[in-house]
Amino acid sequence: MGVLVSLRWWLVFGVGMCLLPLVVSTGTLRILVFAQFLAIFAMSWDILSGRTGYISFGHPFLIGIAGYTTAMLTYHLGVPLYFSIPAAVVATMIGSIFFFIPALRTRGTYFAVVTLAFMEVLYHLMQVVQPKLTGGTRGLSGLPTIILGAVPNYYLSFGVMFVIGVGLWLLIRTRLGTALSTIRMDEDAARSSGLNTTKLKLFAFMLSAFVAGIGGALYTHYLGSIAPRGIFDISFLFSILIAALIGGAGTIVGPIMGAYFLTLLLEFLRPYLPGPERYLIYGAITLLAYYYAPKGFHNIFGLLWQRLGALGRRE
Amino acid sequence: MLSQILIQGFLLSGLYGLLAVGFTMIFSVGRVLNLAFGANIMIGGYVYFALAQEAALPKLPSFIGAVLAGVAFGVVTYLILVRRFRDDPIAVEISTLILAVVMQALIVMIFSPAPRSMWPLLPGVAHIYGVAVSLNIVLATVVSWVVLGGLLVFVHKTHLGRAIRAVSMDPKGATISGIDPRQISLVTWGLSGALGAMAGVFLATYTQLDPGMWVFPLITAVAVVIVGGIGSIIGSLIAAHIIGFMETITTTVIAAELRGVFTMLLIIIVLLVVPKGLFGREEI
Repeated sequence: MGVLVSLRWWLVFGVGMCLLPLVVSTGTLRILVFAQFLAIFAMSWDILSGRTGYISFGHPFLIGIAGYTTAMLTYHLGVPLYFSIPAAVVATMIGSIFFFIPALRTRGTYFAVVTLAFMEVLYHLMQVVQPKLTGGTRGLSGLPTIILGAVPNYYLSFGVMFVIGVGLWLLIRTRLGTALSTIRMDEDAARSSGLNTTKLKLFAFMLSAFVAGIGGALYTHYLGSIAPRGIFDISFLFSILIAALIGGAGTIVGPIMGAYFLTLLLEFLRPYLPGPERYLIYGAITLLAYYYAPKGFHNIFGLLWQRLGALGRRE
Repeated sequence: MLSQILIQGFLLSGLYGLLAVGFTMIFSVGRVLNLAFGANIMIGGYVYFALAQEAALPKLPSFIGAVLAGVAFGVVTYLILVRRFRDDPIAVEISTLILAVVMQALIVMIFSPAPRSMWPLLPGVAHIYGVAVSLNIVLATVVSWVVLGGLLVFVHKTHLGRAIRAVSMDPKGATISGIDPRQISLVTWGLSGALGAMAGVFLATYTQLDPGMWVFPLITAVAVVIVGGIGSIIGSLIAAHIIGFMETITTTVIAAELRGVFTMLLIIIVLLVVPKGLFGREEI
């Protein structure tokens, strides 16, 4: 029953966002496209790190594998998109095994550092090894786009984000989702109560890579180009991490809220602060948000909702 | 070729030692990784640049100014962020990472995103066994070793140093013997900030100043610390030499761009094979 009530909110959100192109400018839609891609990446981070507590500082590694796979297939071999994008998703899932192996031995801080190291390795390798294939430091540009125009791209990115969001949101409500969060709470206790945590972790990594792969491949074709500086970048990692955290890690709805908030915040500040001060204020606001609400907006809204409910009953 | 590798490897390792020891001290005392250490490096470099080159002050006061700025930043980070998230190392890591990005934005705002070149601390070139080395790097190495030696004496011979080691071994036991771990943490964060700022000045004179300059040294410091064993000063010094020489060999024999790759692969391998690092954690 609770799930059905909440699904109604998803429906309201979906219908509302579908009607949005009727009222806002195409410029705003282009901004929202970025928010929606960020939301996909943040959800991919969330299903791995927010749920199981294995904090990934190297998510651009997965996104980069997807982006480069589809970019090289289409650029050099002229492979059609309907083949190159699934291939990129599969490649990302295979690449996530590199992520998974350290998770068998290390936890917490150590795991976070290894993932950061993976990102850096790929950053250097993409520039140095086979620059003819990867485009070296400049990367590849002039990649084919899936569809043209702000409105179709808005619907495409929203649709993908919405389907992934509802799917993951339903998943974390199942017993499987609960089992994943036991790994975060106490992995040893989960294991001793008979859960196969290795299998559960593998599942979380694969699912996260699947989502990152879809997002990374579509994002690359939306931009039409890929370069090591843009993908394996600390500020890209920062956006993903912060979107998930200030929205509310482990909730799937939170990262979506966080992604819209971050993207719109940066755009809202633009007219007031055209210069580099904008990034300072933007960073400072996210730091304050994390400082005062480390559990994220999702938690704050949840508490407010409860308070309102309690007030309603009292009257 | 061999003498070049030996000399340059040794010179680079001294700097990495400084970097890694500054970074690992905080972990030994507080069990958290301070990702804002990268910002410390950046602050050291830019404050020195502002004082010595833009305000045209003499070099030594500028250097001291940069170190003091590092101390202040370390202490403020500890008081504001770390005290709030003390029970949660992951929250400390995330919030210090955000802080580093914020500081980068601040640097871009004040100094523009364009790279700046720094004058050497000591101009000129020395020839050691036929290898040309800039005096700047020699000075940086000598200062690094003097500081590291002083630090080792400090943690082993003075009361405050022993208190730092006591907290790193067992905070509860240290509290029972009348040491306030919070005060010790504060001192450690200040010291670590000083070492980071110093390393930042040297790094900036080795290459150049740019707002993204903190990422690679931070990852190198993490690498050294992981390979040496988190929390061990001696382990970090040995690992600094392993990584310093490995990078020098990669740069001279294979390709300069690949030096980071081998370092990263080393971290991954060490963490998989000996997760505690080569030298465990016994002494700070």
